[in-house]
Amino acid sequence: MAVRTAAIPQELIYRAAYEANRLAATTVPRDGLVAFQRAAQRESKPLARFVLRKIVDNANLAVAENRPMCADTGLPRYYVKVGNEAAIEGGFVALERTLRQAVADLTHDIQLRANRVHPLTRHNPGNNVGIFAPNVDYSFEPDGDWIDIIVVHKGGLFGTDYRMLFPADGVTGIKRFLLDNLAEFARRGLSCPPVIIGVGLGGTKDQCVRLSKEAACLRSIGDRHPDPLVADLEVELNDLANRTGFGVMGVGGDTTSYDVHIEIAYAHTGGLPTAVSQLCHAYRRAVGRVHPDGRVEYRDDPQWFTPYYRRVGIE
Amino acid sequence: MEQPETQFREWHLGTPLSDEDIAQVRAGDIVYLSGPVFTARDGVYEHMLVRGNEPPIDLRSLTNVSLQSSPAGVEVSPGVYKVSSLQATAGFRYARYMPPLLERYGVKAVVGKGGMSEDVYRDIFKPHGAICLSTMGYGLGAIYGKAVERVLGVYWLKELGISEALWVMQMKEFGPLLAEGDVQGHGFFTQVNEEINVQLSLAYAGLRPPVFRRLGEEQRPEQELF
Repeated sequence: MAVRTAAIPQELIYRAAYEANRLAATTVPRDGLVAFQRAAQRESKPLARFVLRKIVDNANLAVAENRPMCADTGLPRYYVKVGNEAAIEGGFVALERTLRQAVADLTHDIQLRANRVHPLTRHNPGNNVGIFAPNVDYSFEPDGDWIDIIVVHKGGLFGTDYRMLFPADGVTGIKRFLLDNLAEFARRGLSCPPVIIGVGLGGTKDQCVRLSKEAACLRSIGDRHPDPLVADLEVELNDLANRTGFGVMGVGGDTTSYDVHIEIAYAHTGGLPTAVSQLCHAYRRAVGRVHPDGRVEYRDDPQWFTPYYRRVGIE
Repeated sequence: MEQPETQFREWHLGTPLSDEDIAQVRAGDIVYLSGPVFTARDGVYEHMLVRGNEPPIDLRSLTNVSLQSSPAGVEVSPGVYKVSSLQATAGFRYARYMPPLLERYGVKAVVGKGGMSEDVYRDIFKPHGAICLSTMGYGLGAIYGKAVERVLGVYWLKELGISEALWVMQMKEFGPLLAEGDVQGHGFFTQVNEEINVQLSLAYAGLRPPVFRRLGEEQRPEQELF
């Protein structure tokens, strides 16, 4: 009989989920801070430069005083990557319960705003937990005996859109849709630019939207898609986004987008489904890797888009 | 060489705002507010302005500044609230509540995000001698939260829930806020969008509209959508 790894206790998962939520609410990932500072240094418009500097100040203040960097603490959600060899005390049902408990507790302790309400009655349970809330998405990774708990706090009103383009639209159509999306949401700063832009290309419609969201939230600023064709388009779209001139909060400036991340999925032969998601500059994400020996390692880079996750090279 | 931090005017004003203070603020200025303010967004607007419920405190004598916001705050002990982070939400969708808010409650400054159209400033704000201010980025929530000196009261909790309740807060140097709409009826974003649209049209050059359009779709990207 194969040797089973020790089960990861729920208490440890709770601790990691709680801390990752706290870090996400208060601490800008390092790649974000570097991008903020660079944008402030490069900005040529005085008002935009003033605001970008304030955003850097705010990031430092949030950490120093354990304050959420934005009062709209968004919709807390989880992306959980589970190593194929990991064993979880109580299984996935217990894991899900623990993750929900951590969000409810954090809502009170760190003053996450209770944002989740019933969509029709608008009743607010007061703890960000409810029907299908918080979102928990799972993926799996060969060989690992750990669990990665990735927490993202993302606003929910502006910046995401989907369009069924067609092969006749091509890259031109993708570019135009991106500009349309920015003209809709970056104007007057509704989506809180500078943003990180995720683009989903192909797949089924729901897959396309999901990939755009994950591309915005779960890759680091500056990293490129492994396919050079896609990587080149990422750079081209980022240049295009910054040529719009919306700038920070739509006040007019040089940086509207910190980066564009594209994820592709094989599409129907007749279609080019395209989705765009904007992640605002309140860039809130943290990762905790929980090991069976009791260690929890926190890091900035989610490492969500692995070759296995993209299903590269699998028969 | 370090470039100058600001090339625009800054105002540090006390609330309730005086007509003289309001009159000198121009679209594009930066404003910091000290004194009491109250929050009102979807819940309070409907409860107070549409259904006509009078708030449990006399807002009119307390302040004339209203904030379109729900703070990230909690009840730390019974009746005692603490705000850690603060931010306004997008104001364009609240334009229809402005006439009763300004008329019935004497509000002279509305703090939102991104402002409203110049028509609203000209037709509603200007006749009331009121201005519209905008918060400047979700990434300034901690700075704005630190400006909350004290939560004076939280009302309609039971009716509206904590994220829609009426919060009354004592502020100290609450800013930077962008003067979006001034008493002359000018809007900062309307002005700046004219410049941006020139640049935007260049970015669109050579990009065809999609082969399949959507019903009701706005095809002119230089237009406002509200």
